Formats: sequence, C-alpha cells, structure tokens
Amino acid sequence: MDYLGQLLANGLVLGAIYALAAVAFTLVYGVVRLVNFAFGELFMLGAFLTASLMLPEVRLLGTIVPMPGFSLPVAAAGAIALTAALGVLVDRIAYRPLRNAPRLAPLITSIAVSVVLQSLAQTVWGAEELRFPEFHLATLPPVVLFDSIYLSVMDLVVMATALAAMLGLSAFIARSSLGRAMRASAEDQMAATLVGIPVNRVVAAAFAIGSGFAALAGLLYAQTYGFAHSSMGFLPGLKALTAAVLGGIGSIPGAALGGLILGLVEALGSGYLPNGTAWKDAISFVLLVGLLYLRPQGLLGKPELNAAGRGSLLGGASEFGAAWLRAAFAKVDGGLTRAAAAGPRAALALLALAILVGLVVPSDYWLRILTMVVIYGMLASGLNVIVGFAGLLDLGFVAFWAVGSYLTSILFVLVLKDQFGVAPADIWWLLYLNLPLAGLLAAGFAVLLGTPTLRLRGDYLAIMTLGFGEIVRVVAINWMDLTNGPMGIRGIPAPNLFGIALGSPRAQFFFALALAVLVVFAIARLVRSYVGRAWVAIREDEEAAEAMGVPTARYKLYAYAASGFVGGFVGVFYAHSQQYISPLNFSLFENILLLMLVVLGGLGTFVGPFIGALIWIVFLQLALDLPFVQAYPETRFALLGVVLIVLMVFRPQGLAASARVALTMPGARPANAKEAA
Amino acid sequence: MKPLTGAPSPAPLLEARAITVRFGGLEAVGGLDMAVARDAIHGLIGPNGAGKTTVLNVLTGFIRPTEGELVFDGAEIGGLGVNGFARRGLARTFQNIRLFGAMTVLESVLVGAHQRFSANALSLVFARRSARAAEAAMIARAYELLEFVGLGADVADRVATTLSYGHQRRVEIARALISAPKLLLLDEPLAGMNAVEKSEIADLVRQVRAQGIAVLLIEHDMQVVRRLCDHLTVLEYGRKLADGPPEDVLADPAVQAAYLGRAR
Ligand SMILES: Nc1ncnc2c1ncn2[C@@H]1O[C@H](COP(=O)(O)OP(=O)(O)OP(=O)(O)O)[C@@H](O)[C@H]1O
Ligand SMILES: [Mg+2]
Repeated sequence: MDYLGQLLANGLVLGAIYALAAVAFTLVYGVVRLVNFAFGELFMLGAFLTASLMLPEVRLLGTIVPMPGFSLPVAAAGAIALTAALGVLVDRIAYRPLRNAPRLAPLITSIAVSVVLQSLAQTVWGAEELRFPEFHLATLPPVVLFDSIYLSVMDLVVMATALAAMLGLSAFIARSSLGRAMRASAEDQMAATLVGIPVNRVVAAAFAIGSGFAALAGLLYAQTYGFAHSSMGFLPGLKALTAAVLGGIGSIPGAALGGLILGLVEALGSGYLPNGTAWKDAISFVLLVGLLYLRPQGLLGKPELNAAGRGSLLGGASEFGAAWLRAAFAKVDGGLTRAAAAGPRAALALLALAILVGLVVPSDYWLRILTMVVIYGMLASGLNVIVGFAGLLDLGFVAFWAVGSYLTSILFVLVLKDQFGVAPADIWWLLYLNLPLAGLLAAGFAVLLGTPTLRLRGDYLAIMTLGFGEIVRVVAINWMDLTNGPMGIRGIPAPNLFGIALGSPRAQFFFALALAVLVVFAIARLVRSYVGRAWVAIREDEEAAEAMGVPTARYKLYAYAASGFVGGFVGVFYAHSQQYISPLNFSLFENILLLMLVVLGGLGTFVGPFIGALIWIVFLQLALDLPFVQAYPETRFALLGVVLIVLMVFRPQGLAASARVALTMPGARPANAKEAA
Repeated sequence: MKPLTGAPSPAPLLEARAITVRFGGLEAVGGLDMAVARDAIHGLIGPNGAGKTTVLNVLTGFIRPTEGELVFDGAEIGGLGVNGFARRGLARTFQNIRLFGAMTVLESVLVGAHQRFSANALSLVFARRSARAAEAAMIARAYELLEFVGLGADVADRVATTLSYGHQRRVEIARALISAPKLLLLDEPLAGMNAVEKSEIADLVRQVRAQGIAVLLIEHDMQVVRRLCDHLTVLEYGRKLADGPPEDVLADPAVQAAYLGRAR
C-alpha cells in the first residue's frame, strides 16, 4: 500500500508535467492542425533558460557570462516569456509560409526546427548537463502523507503550478475574446476566417501559449530531476505528444487527462513490472500504439481530426523565392530533366563514374566516407519508397535497419561464434543468405507494424511509426540476452567472398556499390510498373486511387514491405562493414537524418537519396576543417535543419525533383507511340 | 414510382433501393429508388445542391448510405470498399477533376487499368515476359483510349494537371474507361465547356454506350440532356421528383417548377 501510494504520488508529479507539455501540442494542433515536433526542444529551452537565469554565471559558447541569479519564480517567468517569443518566431518563419501546403511539408519542417534548436542549444550550452540550481523551497523537509508517502515540497509546487496553469488556460479560453477565437478556429478554421477572426493572430497566440506551457513543463521537469541537457526534451516531448494523442489531440481537458494517465501508467509500470524502470519508455509507446489502433481519435477527441490532406509535396513548385534562386534551380532542373530523359544511359554513366571514383581515390579515409555515402543512400532509398513514392511519413524506418543489422550480428557472433565456436570465415556464405533473409524478416515486421496503421492517415501515421521505432530501440537496449543490450555486439566479421576477406576500404566500397545497384534496380523495377503507379496515385489522391480500383490499404502495406526489405537488406551489410553495432546506431535521430537526406535530394526520385547522402556526408567531413566547426560540431546539424526549412518553403520537392521518375516499364511502349512522344 | 419505360429487360444493371443519406441533421438523399438499364445513357438532373453528387458517391462506394441497398449486375454490393465497386465494373469521373499530380497523362490513364494487372513482385523485378507483355498491352490500350476520347498521342507524356480543363476531363474519362467498366458514371462532364466541346463529349458518350457500356451522367444543360439521354431521374432536395424518358420528364410541370428561375 505504501509502495503503491508512493508510486501514485510520483506518477501524479510526472503526469502533471506531461499534461502541461501535452497542452502545447494540443493547442497548436487544434488551431493549425500541425503536430509541432519542436515542442520537445522548447521544453528543453525552458529548462536551460530558467537554470541560466537562476545562476550567477554560466558558460555560454565556451565563455563565462555573468547572469542575474534570479530566484526560481522570476527566472521561470523570464524563461517562459522568452520561449513563448521564440515559439511565435518559429511559427512566423517556418510554418506560416506553409499554411496551405500539403500536410507533409509543415510536419517535416517541424522536425527540422527540432534539429536546429537542439543543435543550437548544444552549441550554446555545451554537451554536458547543466546542473539545475536548487530553489530554497527544495531544501525544506518533505511532506509525509499517511505516514509513508513522501512528497517533496517542490513536488507539491509542481502539481499546484500545473493545476493553476491548466485552470488559468481554461478560463482564458472560455472568457477572453482571443481564447474564444482560438476555440472557434479549432472548431472550424474556414468558418473562423469567414466570420473575420484574424487567424494569424490567433495562431500566433496559440504558439505563444503552447511554447510557454512547454517551457513551464521543461523547467519543472529539470527542477524535479536536477539538470538540464540539450537532448532532455526528446523523450518527454514524445511522451507529451503521446499524452495529447491519448486524450484526443485538439482537446485541452484531453491533454490533461492523457498526461495524468501516462504519468500514472509509467510510474506504476516501472514499479510493478519486472525490470520495469528499464521498460518504462516502451510502456508509453505500447499504450500509444494500442490506443491509435483501437481508437485513433483518442479518448476525448473528435474522429474527423484524422482527415487526409490531399496533394503531395511533388504536385507543384512553390511560388516563393528570390529570382536568382529560382533561376539557379531552373538551371539544375534543365540538366536533370535532360539526364532523366537519357534514362538507363545516364544511370550507367553515373555508375561508371562511381566505379572510377572507387578506383582512383587513394585515401582509405575517403573510401570509408564514400562507403558511408552509399550505405546512407541505400537506406534513404528504402525510406524513399514509403515517403517519396507512397507519400506516407515513416519515422520508424530505422527499426527495419536494426532488424537486419541485429539478425546477422546475432547469428554470426552471439550464436555461431560464442555458442558453437564456429569461426566466421568458415561460414562466410551466411552473409549472402542473411541479406535476403533479413530483408524478408524486416518486410514481415513492416507488414506487422503497417497493418494497424492502415486506418490512420497523415500525422497519426507518423506518430504511430515513431512509437514503433522507439519500441524496437527500447527492446534492443533492454533484451540483454538477445542483443547484448547497450554494450552492443562487437567483432562482426567483415564481408568475405569464397574465403577472400573484403575488409579493405576499397573492397567495401565496391561491395556497397554492388548492393546499391541491386537495391536501386529492384526499386526502379517496382516503381516503373503498376505497383509504383498505385503508390504515386495513393500519394497524390488516395480516394481517387481507390476509385480507380487500387486497393490502397494493400498497396500501402506493399510499400512498407518494400521499404522494410531494403532496410533489412542494407542493415546486414551495415553491420558487417561497421563490425560493431549498438542500439545507439538506430535512434530516431538516424531516422530523421535519413528523412532529411531524402527530402534534400528529392522525394520520389531514384538519384535523390544518393545526392542527399553525398552532399550531407561529404559536407559533414569537409566542414571539420573549419575551426568554427571543430569547436562546435553540432552547428553542422543546425545548418542541415536550416537548409531543410528553406527547402520546404522554397522548393519542397528537393534538389533533384526534376529527375522525374517515369512510371511505365522501359521498353513497353509501342514503337509508333515513342516517335509521337 | 413510375414504371420504367423503354427498359423491357427485367434486370437492370444497377438498382438502388430506398437510399437515404444523412449528414448529421441534413438529409441529402431521401428514400431514393433508381434503376439504370444495361444499355442506357441515364441522366441524373436536378437543381444545385439537390444531392446528385451524393447519389453518385453512393453508387461508387464513396459514401455508405445511411439506409438502403445497392444491387449491381445481380449482386448486392453495398458492403464493398470503394475499390470493390471499381472492381465490379463501376468507373467514375469527378465533378472537380481529380487527376493525380506529378503524373503524365499516360501514367494517369494506366492507374485506371490497375485491376487488369496481376504480375507479382518477382516477375516485375525480373521484368518477366508476361509482365512486360501485360504492360505493353495496357499501354497500347491507353493510347487507343486517348485517341478515342479525342486526345492526340502527343499529350501522353505531358503532366496531366498541366493540360487545359477540357483535356483534363477527357483524360479522366479515358482513365475510367481503361478499367473496362460496365457502367461509367460522369459527374457534370460538360461543365465549363463551349458548345463545340459539349457536342464532342456528347458524341463520345454515345460511342461509349455503343461499346456496350452504360452511362450515368449528371448534367445541367437541358438541351444536351434532352438529346443525349434516353432516361432521366430528377432530384430535388434529395428526393426523386420524376423518372422516365426525357420528353415526359422535362414536360412534367413539377420538374419545370423545380428548374424555374434556378437554372439556365
Ligand atoms: N460530406 C458532406 N457533408 C455534409 N453535407 C454534405 C456533404 N456532401 C454534400 N453535402 C450536402 O448535401 C447536399 C447535396 O449536395 P450534392 O453535392 O450532392 O449536390 P449536387 O446536386 O451535386 O449539387 P451541384 O449541382 O451543386 O453539384 C448539399 O446541401 C450539400 O451541402
Ligand atoms: Mg454535384
């Protein structure tokens, strides 16, 4: 009983924090139908700003800066105000230009904003934890309830603050004219515009209040756990989003309810399940996935919030942009269109170039980097099947990659070598068996995971896949017997062919290139057939595709399966080329990175993923020569995020968009038609 | 209900019985009975907002009616998904053209042929002869249909959404026809067209019927309707106002009253 009581008390504190952050997601979603992934980072900024304002001095950008040393309430108010202003600014720059864009665009932008903010925070405050200064109330002795439940005074303050903020917000929405306007826009944006509610002001208010709530949640969280860190917003952000979805996104009481449920479930789960603390992150996501499956609109939500947005990023070019920018793109487009028209000849020329590069590059260092380019290009190609061709945002793709890497590593190292003492060189052929096997296994996983998502669209789909990806990662960390847990698996043998070790960087590069040819070839054959046409039709207009006889649910699953196959297939080679894997290799950040590479290069093209990977990975290395980047390596990620935001606004189709992929089988056209065309 | 004249065949191609559609409190269609004969050009007319598009959405599975049942080609089809309706032989166009962005005309038309492909993933990846033959056959058919709807082969490789409005409508019709449907449902195919184009599309509709495909079309232009259709169903406020051969229906005072001062 005491134990239960203590768990419930802890759950309430955590739940109060989740609820506050959930309000941020829900408020903005209600008004602009945007899942703003960046709230996790605003949460983190709230914590950093508060801590900084409370300290006498902090180290910013490596230099000690004197600080006012406010008390917690004053510092918190300052931090909330600053974060709210930042939230409005982000909306103004990154989201407002995309108000009428397809829903994928702002979603991707918000992910990019997230990356930018997190990298910048790490640049400014450094990679280490910042200790959260102790507030004098925290030094008071804890309150004891029923003789056995300990609650610190700060825990009570957290709960009281959350309650007051929630009630204040409810009153604001019910009473003030701005609040009523907010509710009206949430009910029906079109109607709100018609009756003359200044929508932009309402949206700005929603962002301001939402960001303020996120900051408040973040500073309370940091206060409770005693530190601030640049990546601290990530998991609580996801949890808060889960809470918002749980309660029914768009509903404020729902957010409060969802937050509390999540906090309690997590506290109870970690208290009662065997090894519960390790699994507590998985608990929330299992809850999320189960709920989205059974009741996608959440507990208090309205079903129509899950409507599909029609049109894709590739439908039309943006009208924005300076003349020189558009002129530059027009030049690129001209060249690409010509190259794409050349078809197989251009592809062969590209391949020949890659082979030549592989032959002449002298340095092992650069060969390793080019191998990485090819690997990431292949992975991005797999992701591109689902995102670029079928138009479904997938934030759980890394899971397939992980399945492939782990399958081959477990078989080679943990089973055959450690258990049976078989030397990897004796069973070199297993690698070639594992490639398709892992592909099939991952495809099976993809179908398994894809099935419940079929009824979901747009944003919910993205959240669901994200939940899956996290579950797989948590499993990889915690299922020690299977995966070796966080230690990872060492000593994975380099690829080997008929006893000839292919461990040298040059051999690996060519191995990767050969796989890439297979991957692109297979994807291209599928895309240039009725299957690819069905995918693109789904991307462009799901309902119309269905009316043309396309069983859209089945073809979405096929897209998942194809993308999963590629992920698993490449994952096998990845493990053998790295020779060491750990759960860290398969984080959501990797997924986001792959997504950014596809978008950078061009969604729905064959070369796009490789162009994106080439630009990014080569830049990542070259930039290391700059002293500034040496001091602040994270700024490179911030730059990638900024580039992506700019692309989303000015050229959502990506750099190589005009390398348009033909969707008919090469050579299947009647001869006279070719002449006419 | 008036007896169906000019339809001696006892089993119509499509039969809708007591269809009611409610959107919240609004009854968009109320207790509609309707039958489309196997060789008909069947007009569905009525003032704006009468519920014509809603009926067409019901007949193609887009909207599941609140009440009522649908029998197509002798089988109950009410429970199917949208693609199931298409597979049974119901093909449609949309009042607001819905072509797939970023696809060429040829590719868009080929999407309509989706159900006529059957190659599995392996034969696609290895481009087996059967898969290539099926693709070539459908591409050839697509070119035929483009010509049939009055588009030259030169538009085949243009991005469909960049064509003129009239041409986009023709692409939509070709996309619907390539599935070899039994019934083609057209939602205002003549809207926004000039007189020449209108008569071209009317001829096209007649040719479609001549190929043994029944046509259900929604249209506001009474001149065209009178000449083109051999059976009319008139809707007003979601209810059936009249049903029968055009000359009878259009002479009906109730129908004239419904249109008086409302339509052209
Ligand atoms: N999805 C929907 N939700 C709510 N009401 C709807 C919906 N679709 C149609 N309606 C309403 O149902 C009624 C019939 O609409 P419908 O589009 O079927 O008319 P219509 O006869 O096709 O008109 P028009 O000639 O203008 O195309 C209208 O009052 C319309 O507002
Ligand atoms: Mg209509």
